[in-house]
This record gives sequence, C-alpha cells and structure tokens, in this order.
Amino acid sequence: MKIRPLSALLGVALALPALSRGEARDYIIAPSRPDKLVVVDTEAMAVDKVIRIKDAGPTPMVPVLSPDAKTVYAIVNRSESVVKIDLESGETLARVDFSTPERRVKALFGMDISPDGSTLAIFQTPVKLGTTHYEVEPTSIAFYDAETLELKREAPSPRQITLMMYSADGAKLYAIGRNLHIFDAQTGEMIEERPIQGWENDKRTPPDVLAVWSQYESSGVMSIPFYSFLLDKEPTDPEAGRTGLFTLDRETGESVMRDVEAMDVFYFSTAVNPAKTRAYGAYNVLQSFDLTTGKPIKRVALPRSYYSVNVSSDGKIVWLSGALSDVAAYDAETLERLGHVDLPEGASISLNSVRLFSRPD
Amino acid sequence: MTSLSRLLLATTAVLLGAGAARAADGAEVLDSACGACHAREEGGYDRIDAVRKTPEAWDMTVQRMGRNHGVSLEPEERAAVVRYLADTRGLSVAETEDWRYILEREPVAQDLGPNARMSETCGRCHSYARVALQRRTPEDWRHLVNFHLGQFPTLEYQALARDRDWWGIAQNEIMPFLAETYPLGEAPPAADLDLSGEWPVAGRQPGRGDYAGLLTLTATESGHDAALRLDFADGSSESFTGSGALYGAGEWRASLASPEREIRQVFALKEDGVLEGRWFELGRDVVGGRLTAARAGEGAAPRILGVSPGRLRAGETAEVLVTGVGLTGELQLPEGLTAEILSASDREVKLKLSAPEALGAVSLALGEAAAPEPFVVFGALDRISISPETAISRVGDGGGPIPRTPAQFEAFGWLNGPDGAPSTEDDVFVGRFPAQWRTENFDAAAEAMRDADYAGSIDQNGLFTPGVAGPNPERPMMANNIGNLKVVAEVEDAGRSLQAEAHLYATVQRFVDALIR
Repeated sequence: MKIRPLSALLGVALALPALSRGEARDYIIAPSRPDKLVVVDTEAMAVDKVIRIKDAGPTPMVPVLSPDAKTVYAIVNRSESVVKIDLESGETLARVDFSTPERRVKALFGMDISPDGSTLAIFQTPVKLGTTHYEVEPTSIAFYDAETLELKREAPSPRQITLMMYSADGAKLYAIGRNLHIFDAQTGEMIEERPIQGWENDKRTPPDVLAVWSQYESSGVMSIPFYSFLLDKEPTDPEAGRTGLFTLDRETGESVMRDVEAMDVFYFSTAVNPAKTRAYGAYNVLQSFDLTTGKPIKRVALPRSYYSVNVSSDGKIVWLSGALSDVAAYDAETLERLGHVDLPEGASISLNSVRLFSRPD
Repeated sequence: MTSLSRLLLATTAVLLGAGAARAADGAEVLDSACGACHAREEGGYDRIDAVRKTPEAWDMTVQRMGRNHGVSLEPEERAAVVRYLADTRGLSVAETEDWRYILEREPVAQDLGPNARMSETCGRCHSYARVALQRRTPEDWRHLVNFHLGQFPTLEYQALARDRDWWGIAQNEIMPFLAETYPLGEAPPAADLDLSGEWPVAGRQPGRGDYAGLLTLTATESGHDAALRLDFADGSSESFTGSGALYGAGEWRASLASPEREIRQVFALKEDGVLEGRWFELGRDVVGGRLTAARAGEGAAPRILGVSPGRLRAGETAEVLVTGVGLTGELQLPEGLTAEILSASDREVKLKLSAPEALGAVSLALGEAAAPEPFVVFGALDRISISPETAISRVGDGGGPIPRTPAQFEAFGWLNGPDGAPSTEDDVFVGRFPAQWRTENFDAAAEAMRDADYAGSIDQNGLFTPGVAGPNPERPMMANNIGNLKVVAEVEDAGRSLQAEAHLYATVQRFVDALIR
C-alpha cells in the first residue's frame, strides 16, 4: 500500500514532527459491521488493514489491544464470544464461546487486559435457558488467560456494569456500573465502591450515565459524561439540567465527579488528552473542556453524529468515529476538521468502541 | 407491495379463521407441535395453561416460537392453533374493555400504566395495554419477567433502567404487582355463535366523515363470510368483501377488501349483542373508523346506532339520518325541536329537523331506543379544539421497506355549557367541523431546522402526510425529514374565526412492530 504522509493530504493544517525509524506511530482500530476490525494508519490517513472475523456478526464490539500491540481481542458473535487475533496476520488464534445450549452468556461492553498482558477480564451476564422458561442468573467478571483464553476464575459482580479498566499496576480492576466498583484484580473481590449515581444526592437527581465506549488508551484516564438535574432549580430553568464529567486515572486511582456546564446538548462519550488537561466530548457537536478548571473551552458543530472520541498520543489530534463509517481528525486546539478516512464498504461502526494504539513504525 | 406490508398481510391472515382452522385441528397442533416441549401435566400444558390472553397475543407467541425456537407450522396450522388457544385460553370482553385501543390500533388513545413505576418499567418499550391484556399465574409472571431480561440483556442499561436497580425492582415490585393485579382466573367459554344476518352499522372515518351502512355475515364451515357497505355522509360509498371469525368469548376479527383498499376489522361482541370496534387500512392503520353494528331482524331490540349529523344550528333546518335496528317506536323530541319524517324503516329514519332557538344538548329517541349521544342545537360555537391534541407521524418510503405513518386530525366544536367558562366539565361537544389546516414550526429549534418545510404537509381533511425516510442532504447534519410541528386549525363559525393548535411529532420509522404494540 502506498503510504501518503498526512501532511500531504492536509496541507499545513498539521505540524506533526517527522517520524524517524523506530518511533511510535498511532493507529486506530475500529470494529465495523458485520465482521470487521479495520486498522487505520493515522499518519498515512489510510486504511492499513482489514481483519475479517469468522462468525462475528452482527458486529465485533469491544476491541482490546495487548500491551505490545501485537494481539487484539474482540467481543464478537452477538456478544457471546471473545476472539484473540494476531494483528499482523489477521489470523484468529483462539476463540471462546461463552454460551452453551443450556445457558446464554453475553459480554456486553466491559473488557480489559491486565497491564502485564496475562489476563483478560470480561463482564458477563448469563441466563439459564430451560425448555419452556428462562432464568436470569447473577452477573460476574470472568478472568481468562490471555494466552490460551482458558477461564482462570470468576467473581460475582453487581449487575449493570459497562466499562472496565485495570489500574496501571494491575492490582485493581475498575468497573463502571451504577457506581464505581473497584475489585482486587487477583481475587476478584470487590474492595471499594465510590458513588456515581449516589453523588451529591442532596443537591441533584441521580446522575444518568451511559458509558459504553472504552477509549482511555492515550491518557490512561477514563472519562464519562453524566447528566443530572439540580434539585433547587425549577426543571424549566435552563441552568437546572447539568452536564458532568467523571474521570478515573488508572495511574493514581483518583476519580472525580465534576459539574462542567448546563445541559444544552448531549455527549455520547468523552476522552482525555495524554497531558490530562483537556477532555473532548462528541455526539452532534465536538466540545473541549479544561480539566484543570472544569470549564468548557470551545464547541464546534459536526457534519453528522459521531459517538466515540480518541486523542492522539501527542495530544494534537482528536479522532471522532462511530455511528456511520468514517474516522475523522480534528485539531485538538482549534477543533478544526482536518480530514477523514472512510472505512471499506461503508460498513457502520455503530456504537462499538474504537481504540487508539501506538507501535513502532 | 412492500415486504413489510406482505408481512403484515400474512400476520393478519392468521387471525381470519381462514381455511380449515377448526378447533379440533388446533387441539391437534397444540398437542403435537407445542406439546413437544410444553409437557402435559396435571394442570395442563406447561406454561400454556398458565396464561390467558387475546388472539393477537397468542399469535405473537406462536410467531415467536417459530422465529426463536424453530417451530415450523404451515399457515393453516398456525391459524388453527391460534384460534384454538384464543377459544380456550382467552379473555372476556369485559376484561379487555379499558385496553382495546391497542388491539384496534386506535390512534386517538393515551396509554397509561397504573403508576409511574409500571409505566417506566413496562410502558417504556411497549404499551401498558399489552401487559393489562394478559392473565397469568404468579409463577408465569415470574417466567415472563425473567424472559424479558434474558432475551433482551441490554434492557437494564436503557434510560429509566440504568439509573436504578432494575432487576431488584423487577423481582420485588413488578412480579408481585402483576401476579396480584392480573391473576390467571378462569377462561370464559368460547361464544361459538352463528352471526349470520344483516347488521346495520354506523360510525365515522376521521378525515372523511360519518357513515351508515350494512355488514352482512354468512356462517361458513370455518367462520363467516363478510360483506360491508359504507355510505358516507359526503355521498360517497364503498363496498368491501372478505371473511372473519369470532374468537373466544367475543373477539371478531376479519379482513376485507374494496377495489381501493384492504381493511381489517377488530370488533368486540358485547353482552347486548352489539358489535363494536374499529376497522383500519392494512399497512396504514391510522386511517380507519370506529363502527357499531347490531343485527337486524325479528325480535331485534330497538337500538339507535348513529345520528348524523348530531347537531343543528338554531334557526336552520337540517336533514338528519338515524340508523339502527327495530326503529319502529314513536319519535320523541324535546320541546323547541320540530321534525318532519322524510322516510322511515326499521333500520333508517330520515328527519328534517328545525329549531328556532339554541337548546344545547338534548335527547332524541325512537320509542325505547335513545340516541347514543346527545343531539346539540346551538347558535354559535364558543371554541374549537383539535383531536388528538398530541400526535405522532413517521417518515417512511423513500426506497425503504417501511411505509409512511400519517397523522389524522379533526377540529371539534364546543359550547361553554351552563357555567359559561371554556374547558370545564360541563362543556358541550357539538361535533366535528371542517377547518383550514396548516402546520408551523413548534419552537425556535424547529424554526432553525425549518421543520415545517421538510417534515411533511397537511391536507384540508386534516391528514398530515410525513416526508420520505432517509438522510436529507439539504438539511443540517443530513437530518431525516423529522420535525416538531404545531398543527393549526381554523374554523369559520357564525362570522367568527376560531383557532386551535395541536402538537405533532413527525418522527422516525417504527422499526420493530408487533400485532400488539
């Protein structure tokens, strides 16, 4: 494939440092319907690779990169299987089907790999399938050997968990549910809970959170928008509805719930820059936030809806994707649109998690 | 024909009693096909005998067994087993009374649960009526709730679910409420009646007007042949033929067609022998009409089915058609209203009515048969309103498989009543009035998106036809032709222009549809 440098495509809009041999380069991996993982070379602004996965439909959902970025795991097959894929060859190395004829098990949104690359943690929600009736079973977190995909252990967990993220040292596993649940990554025991829906209940309605986009790679900070209403204001007051940002730093373990602006638009998801100073939210607008002051900075209209946000490793580009079938670049400072890459066959990315990773050039 | 309307046609055809859908066959299908998994024990078939519901609900179950569990039935087998289940495990008409709008696809209805918890838990995805039209054992309600989360695992992540302990609430509040409110009880016996005969009908198709007519039913081996003639007050007529069947205790379902359109009838056979319900166009169920019918003939209890028009302006004369059965009694009028009988039969009486002064709402009768609605003699309207006050239309067509869903509006005329104040309980409903119709942007956001220009258009019969589906490159963000609209009606009455507004959400397609929404 002929690689055209991004600067040639975008003129002088981007002042990227020239890459030297061995320097890391950002790639984006986007699952698209019905069976594809599409790797985009962000420097070349081109599709680098299309990996097709057998029996993956209707769409692969959550991709997770191994720490060395040589292997990608993905939830596939109506959320009932996980596959391990060699990123270079595109070959499926291993697969586990969670369900049996007697028991259907879905893994909806939550999966992460331990920092040492040894363990894959997957949130699972099962139902027992009797001949004439179903029985909902308790949810759990399943820990798989990342090499063999053998089940190592299971730990009970609260229901309604979406995103999961290991702490940087691998000791803890964070899970977003109705609150932030923190598990001992070794034993699977829940060791701490911090309020999300329970936050500031004396002042506001319980925050509403829909966190289904795993996109914390470049910063190590998980960021989730949430929405609530202040109790001391009339619901018709434009200032009554509030947008908040939850952040969780996998390095320090610090989590913050903060009110950032009046709720005049929705963001489907947000992401934080590597310097941890800015957050970006997207849906029908792209918005930047100053995380040091907790205030909005700038907002621009988008030509269509985008669901997911990633920030480049150097913090200079915001990548939007999801909903339809492209990955679009925006200047992280000016929020000016720089360009986009169309995915093959116009296949929809839908609400799948889109991940950013770096590897040596 | 689109694939969707073919699907609806196939679905509808099941509830016809068409072909050899006899009860004995239904019992055989139940035993061989259903009984293969649903063990027959002392209390009957596992699960199947723990439930009573409407013919539509049984058909949805049989459909799901085919779609999700590979139960393969020939169309006539499916029809037979649905009919048998509806006959043996159905609801009484009284049990369905408050919720029939969902079976009738009545567009002017408000679906309300008994409290916010039930509305948010059940009515969030489907009508609450769908719940209230079922009876189950406590164990079976528990199975049903388990099925919901088991089949739709994202359910507990959706809005109005993710903000609470959904599964805890479902187990500890919803299941006990359902078990107590809608217990299994006893199935009413199937009516199994010969409905053959002539049934004079009266009713109204919103947007087109009042009609009278005749439904002729002839019993066949598997149900009834049906012929329907509608004579509209505007002078037009339409004749339909088809077939139907009576399910369970009194659920009449029929499919008929005229050269122009196919319709479906969803009527209840009431205790007093009257058929009452709604007919609607197949694939465009917003268009249709309510209808009441009573069987004519010797011994028919005198009954007025309709009076059209149901109003008279003081100082004027009007020809009024009274439709019914056994209309042999003496005309009874209030003081101040005079009548000339233009023609009279036991099914139809034509009157020329006049009144010098406004009388308000009065009663008309022929012998013991009273008109079902008050007759109104008025001078001038005090106000108008639009029905429905809030409506939904849906984009469609545009190359996609889903047709557009229009919205039908009517202008209602009102008197303030004895208290002289508008919008109070004693207001007098005068009837429907022709109006000038238009749409406007509902608010500033709609104005900015120019919704009124894109979302569709309303004709002078109050029928709003939405725009085509799909992204529109002319609109910001390629928005669909959706819109937030104000519907405005203007009625000229006695030299005054009266105006009313309604709210129309011109929204996206209904991508998942079911016999019971």
